[in-house]
Amino acid sequence: SSKIPTAVTQQPHPLEHSWTFWFDNPSAKSKQAAWGSSMRSIYTFATVEEFWSLYNNINHPSKLVVGADFYCFKSNIEPKWEDPVCANGGKWTVITQRGKSDTYWLYTLLALIGEQFEHGDEICGAVVNVRGRQEKVSLWTKNAANEAAQVSIGEQWKKLLDFNDTIGFVFHDDAKQDRGAKNRYTL
Amino acid sequence: DGGDGSESMSKKYSRDFLLKFSEQCTVLPDGFGIASDIADALMSAHINGSHLVDRDSY
Repeated sequence: SSKIPTAVTQQPHPLEHSWTFWFDNPSAKSKQAAWGSSMRSIYTFATVEEFWSLYNNINHPSKLVVGADFYCFKSNIEPKWEDPVCANGGKWTVITQRGKSDTYWLYTLLALIGEQFEHGDEICGAVVNVRGRQEKVSLWTKNAANEAAQVSIGEQWKKLLDFNDTIGFVFHDDAKQDRGAKNRYTL
Repeated sequence: DGGDGSESMSKKYSRDFLLKFSEQCTVLPDGFGIASDIADALMSAHINGSHLVDRDSY
């Protein structure tokens, strides 16, 4: 099939980084399956246009099944604690009621791909976890111990989302040892 | 260019700028493929068979 040339040729808008969407639905798998074994990369995109082409065709958090995890990470970083870039990192988390995170998730994605964070190099990616009673959007960063950088990112993120409740930052190292790990920083 | 060194090279886009492109990008990218078992959970509309990829089960 031949393509019809459009009247105005539009150049795609390249992003600073390429990003990969990942999807995981562990609850659909057997309980014995190792963590992360059901995680799949969906697509890697590098332009503004590709981002929207994907975003407009995938379910937003409120429409995802309970148990689902949806990630958007820089393409060279796997969304796992074990990834060398993430190993010493941590995450800020925004918690909302079930069905209420769609806008926060979109604004987070737009801030990431648009390079809106002052400490953009610190950022690994973002994830939304859909659970029975709540949805959690987290921003993963590299150097958890760098308090100044993490606080700057957290403050900027809250402002970008216009989020007024408290957000907390957990070190991956703490989370590995204790699922209920305490926040090291709060804003 | 802001002329502030290497930072001026980075491609920054504001939210408002990015939002302008939303409506014109509705078709999945060429070469997009997804396993049928997760397509149901992830995709918002019934997607065309050409985007579905068979996965071998081990």
